[in-house]
Amino acid sequence: MLKAEAVVIGGGIVGASVAFYLTKYDRKVILLEKEDLACGTSGACTSTIWIQSKQVNIHLKMALESVKLYDELAEEMSYDIEYRRSGGMIVIEKEEEMEAYAEFVRRQRSIGLDVELMDISEARKLQPGLSERLAGSTYSPMDRHVNPFRVIFGLAHAVKKCGGKVYTGAEVKGVIVKGDRVEGVVTNLGDVEADVVINAAGVDAAAVGDMVNLKIPIIPVKGQELVTEPVPALLKYPMLSTGYMALKHPSYFEDFSARFAGLVAEQTVNGNILLGTTKERGIRDKNTTVKGIKSIAQEVAKILPILKGVCVIRTFAGLRPETPDGLPIIGIANGLDGFIMACGHGGDGIALAPITGKIVAELIAEGRSSIPLDEISYSRFVNS
Amino acid sequence: MCDNSDLIICRCEEVGEKEIIEIIKSGVTTIVGIKRRTRAGMGLCQGRRCRRLIAKLIAENSDKNVGEILPARIRPPVKPIRIKDLSEGE
Repeated sequence: MLKAEAVVIGGGIVGASVAFYLTKYDRKVILLEKEDLACGTSGACTSTIWIQSKQVNIHLKMALESVKLYDELAEEMSYDIEYRRSGGMIVIEKEEEMEAYAEFVRRQRSIGLDVELMDISEARKLQPGLSERLAGSTYSPMDRHVNPFRVIFGLAHAVKKCGGKVYTGAEVKGVIVKGDRVEGVVTNLGDVEADVVINAAGVDAAAVGDMVNLKIPIIPVKGQELVTEPVPALLKYPMLSTGYMALKHPSYFEDFSARFAGLVAEQTVNGNILLGTTKERGIRDKNTTVKGIKSIAQEVAKILPILKGVCVIRTFAGLRPETPDGLPIIGIANGLDGFIMACGHGGDGIALAPITGKIVAELIAEGRSSIPLDEISYSRFVNS
Repeated sequence: MCDNSDLIICRCEEVGEKEIIEIIKSGVTTIVGIKRRTRAGMGLCQGRRCRRLIAKLIAENSDKNVGEILPARIRPPVKPIRIKDLSEGE
């Protein structure tokens, strides 16, 4: 029988990061992935570590800590993760949105984010090709470009180098519980004995919760994306639109009616441009649709007319594991010793994976966390 | 990226046989797994040329038969199409 100090369920960016930071504490780790590394949410997303898109609370504070960890990872990993200190913009589509974003930026700055607001003529100097019909833009130097595939393969590689084990095609079928503590997991490859089990199963985290009778309120949110042919550098900065922010934070930006799609635009190191996205809550299939593709293309044509002549070569969709309040679920589950949550990251997994891994490793190795956990704990759903 | 002594398998992304075989021998025996690790099949033609070659390489270098190897998911638009046409079409 396989034996470890900690078993991580899920080979996406969060699971890989948790396993990586545990090996930094010399913990014997086994990572179990039911299909292949990076084949779920983390393999069907875009390529920016967005900091300025976060809720202005613990969410943004975590993102700011995470970006420091990315700076370290980019230095220490033997893999090239295509890390670039790109900066990023949120384009403001309408004049009537400017005031709300002035307030949003003011709140972000009060938490320590370096970000500024500008009118459209300034924005067009920063990013030529933006439509002159827009109202303005934000710019933050803190957003970063990265290749999520390479981060995951790099982290898994580092885990193996430090003596950890990574199993793909290893599906967890059950969690072994004795009294009020976990003792391991049952998989298609046999049982794995462990003191700690970490639920980093992304959109399947709720199914893992069911195995130990914990109701985890995570729903899939489908996001469709387009990939263009490689073209010369057209986009200097990764970009979001206020239409996207209205879809992402419907309660905060409730005055702005959200459409079916909001713009996400990023150019990768290889020259392909990734364009999105939709937020289809409660949809579990990964099919792209005519409505989705057309809606995204319309957002692109409206905001970045410079891209009208660029060809789309592929479309894809990913599922974001979203919680009711949009914050992840990290930490212990009261009443079940050794069962730890690292899930519910929504569309923020790439940005928040390093800090999530660090928090979980601290909790396991030191019994404390450098980030206060109240607002992101599982118990916030149990008590309400 | 491959050198002169290597055989190009994915022309669009210039991925060579050596790199693909190395990945297969590390235990990755799916077309999509190889794509994610090497970019083979991510280019303009979306694997139309290389997917059969990669399936053959997997069969030769693992215990899988060609029949067991699932194709990577084929996604619209199949042929490159301009943003302008997508945004205006019916």
